Amino acid sequence: MIMAKPKIASVWLEACAGCHMSFLDIDERIVDLLGKVELTATPITDIKEFPEVEVGVIEGALGNEEELHLAKELRGRCKILIAWGDCAVFGGINCMRNFMPAEQVLKEGYVNTASTVNPDGVLPKVDIPALLPHAIPVDRAVKVDVYVPGCPPDADTIYYVFSEILEGRIPSVPTDIMRYD
Amino acid sequence: MSEITLVIDGVECRASKGETILQVARKNNIYIPTLCWMEGLTPIGSCRMCVVEVAGNAKLLTACTTPAENNMQVSTKTEKLEKYRRQILELLFAGRNHFCMFCSQTGDCELQRLAIEHGMDNVRYPFLYETFHNDASDPHMQIDHNRCILCLRCIRVCAEKVGAHTLDLEKRGWGTNITADLGRQLGESPSCISCGACAQVCPTGTITLRDFVYRGRRHDCDDQVESICPLCSLGCRIKAYVRTGSIARVEGLSPDSPDGGQLCHMGRWWLPKSTERTRLSVPMIRDGSSFREASWDEALDLIASKMSPALKREKAGALISELSTDEELTVMSSFFRDTLNMEKVDGYYGNMLRGFVRGFKPFADQGVRPFTSAHHILESDAIVLIEANPQEETPVAASYIRVSAIIERAKLINISTEKNPFDCFTDADIRTTKKGMKTLLSALRKAVEEGEENAPENVKEAARILREAKKPVVIIGSKIAEEDSLLVTESVNLAVASKAFFDDGLGIVPMLRASNSLGALNTITGESDWLAESELDFLYVLSTGMVDEDARSMEAMNRSRFVVVHTPFMIHPLVNMADILLPAPAWFERSGHYCTLEGERRRMNLVTPPKGNLKGLSVIMKELAGKLGYELQSASAAPCENVYEAKAAPETARTVFLKEVR
Repeated sequence: MIMAKPKIASVWLEACAGCHMSFLDIDERIVDLLGKVELTATPITDIKEFPEVEVGVIEGALGNEEELHLAKELRGRCKILIAWGDCAVFGGINCMRNFMPAEQVLKEGYVNTASTVNPDGVLPKVDIPALLPHAIPVDRAVKVDVYVPGCPPDADTIYYVFSEILEGRIPSVPTDIMRYD
Repeated sequence: MSEITLVIDGVECRASKGETILQVARKNNIYIPTLCWMEGLTPIGSCRMCVVEVAGNAKLLTACTTPAENNMQVSTKTEKLEKYRRQILELLFAGRNHFCMFCSQTGDCELQRLAIEHGMDNVRYPFLYETFHNDASDPHMQIDHNRCILCLRCIRVCAEKVGAHTLDLEKRGWGTNITADLGRQLGESPSCISCGACAQVCPTGTITLRDFVYRGRRHDCDDQVESICPLCSLGCRIKAYVRTGSIARVEGLSPDSPDGGQLCHMGRWWLPKSTERTRLSVPMIRDGSSFREASWDEALDLIASKMSPALKREKAGALISELSTDEELTVMSSFFRDTLNMEKVDGYYGNMLRGFVRGFKPFADQGVRPFTSAHHILESDAIVLIEANPQEETPVAASYIRVSAIIERAKLINISTEKNPFDCFTDADIRTTKKGMKTLLSALRKAVEEGEENAPENVKEAARILREAKKPVVIIGSKIAEEDSLLVTESVNLAVASKAFFDDGLGIVPMLRASNSLGALNTITGESDWLAESELDFLYVLSTGMVDEDARSMEAMNRSRFVVVHTPFMIHPLVNMADILLPAPAWFERSGHYCTLEGERRRMNLVTPPKGNLKGLSVIMKELAGKLGYELQSASAAPCENVYEAKAAPETARTVFLKEVR
């Protein structure tokens, strides 16, 4: 009997896409990997709806209502959830805004910045998702099974984690390849 | 000290009583992670990374502060300890802004290294996101309190090694902060001497040096070279970090050595900054108001043609930097003295060195070494400063004085015509005039010899201190050597009368200024000061380009008809004086030896290979000698060797009558 290939869904939340770029840096190994897994909804395939998958991957912190929603949705549809990169694991660069209240963040971004022309001081309201009080690591909202820190994690590390999961193990990143920068 | 035996991780370890568990473990190559601990600084056990389990003790103990005891059973790697250590790290990361991705020190950071080592792939505790200020008030250093883990290394090095104690703690609990001078910004601190020791020991990205943060982190560097700093007579050991062929930063070495691995502002900033200067890489000949490039042959031919007639008329001179290595001084001495028999050879600090040499002579004649290693100040219990300003002259010696006086409670006596450099903690401060100095020193010596009862009021307290002192040390400023060698002799008399005796010589530290002053004495220091009045046809100047030329030398160059400047850098106003510029290797492109005031002949190592069309000094001098019709002779005087070799114990020294000296 031929088993169906395990499915992977990934999402790029409050982050720079660097982790997904690093994933693509596994180079020709991606051919081998695609023989074993099926990429479903990812920024690479540009499919938006998460199906039921074995492995869900989140790149980025959670900074607004939409991101929180997507994280919860993916968690609900995957068996193993991986947090990719410093933003998803620790909050990363997004946490720079946590040192001030969310309202002030909007003011700094849309009014106070020297390069902004906004004489009426209009702040976005319904047209973009509301900010959470803090940008938070993924595990502050949903359970995370595998943490892969790094900014971005090396391609080898990302590949190692997938390989381990395909072998039926829930890995921790070994200390010799772990990084935070 | 009694021997004890204990077992660490199943290994039987011998130790002396008084050693900590950490010290014993390190000696036996057993790794215990540490963060706040640092070799050479007082252990405080504040970070708790080094916790260990000791059989029979329910509590976890910090290895860095717990003394090893006989029959102790210590475990350093249990599951419980690993769990606690990781927990400590997670709490540190949650406490302040420890996001590595936007920190300048990532990769060099000890906190980061430990967290990775402990497999910290997430933080289970809520991040606090407390805002701390970023102290950017100092032009050289920045303190970002958001990155601080309160290991207190900076406070300890500042207090225990530099003796400035600028840094300390303010506030309590999570709000605790490092602060300068009881609540000032670092840039406004009068006690900070800008030595950068705090940044060198900081394990995280809290205290950083603006100049070097983005020139390359330590782990980005391709090479680390140990050498010495050529900027003052202490010759402090340095480690130069090299990245793509240039120096990214310079740090002190070995915190367990007497200097505690510190550098002063000169070593820390001047050395690496000097690599940014415009290099002189080919010989240049003056062409109107600028220079044109020339071949070595052309340049040396021109020099020979100007030098030859000047030599015949005895109107040729050579001014050689005392910052040169022994080897360079030997070449200079062999060329100018042994080959050309020139009399007008001297260094920039000739007058000061002659003052010291003449002042020391009566004691050297007795076979006594008239000075001691500078770090012996740390062992002294009474320090006398005679017209000395160590913070200017040899800054790390000023650290020795502060540590000795403030921490070790040595008494401090200042005798000066100007401001007291250690105003806040001087026990006896005696001011006099230039004229009154000799009388004052004699009166103080007499009071030390005969008792202070009948002594003049102003020397009584100083005499009392010196009579009680067991190991006094006298620090002689360079200014009095320049003024009058008799003052040096009388200062040595005071040391002899006070029984300032150390193993290696009399308890005297002369503020010799230039790094290889001791090497220069035998080789290039002239018999008399010809520089001040000279009207020369030809003047050769060897400069390291690291210390600005003094007015007297500049005037002498100005008065000379033809000036050859041999220097590594295009520095003004020195190059303005030149008719010919010869490129010299810079400090990081040379190797050789320096006779330091620390009582050692120390080696300067080549840090990066020379760039440009450079030639070695001996090659140049050999060629030039040939062009002048001479053959380069070997040097008759070796630098450093036998300069003030001790033939008699310092205790045998006797005071001399000043009248007999001249």
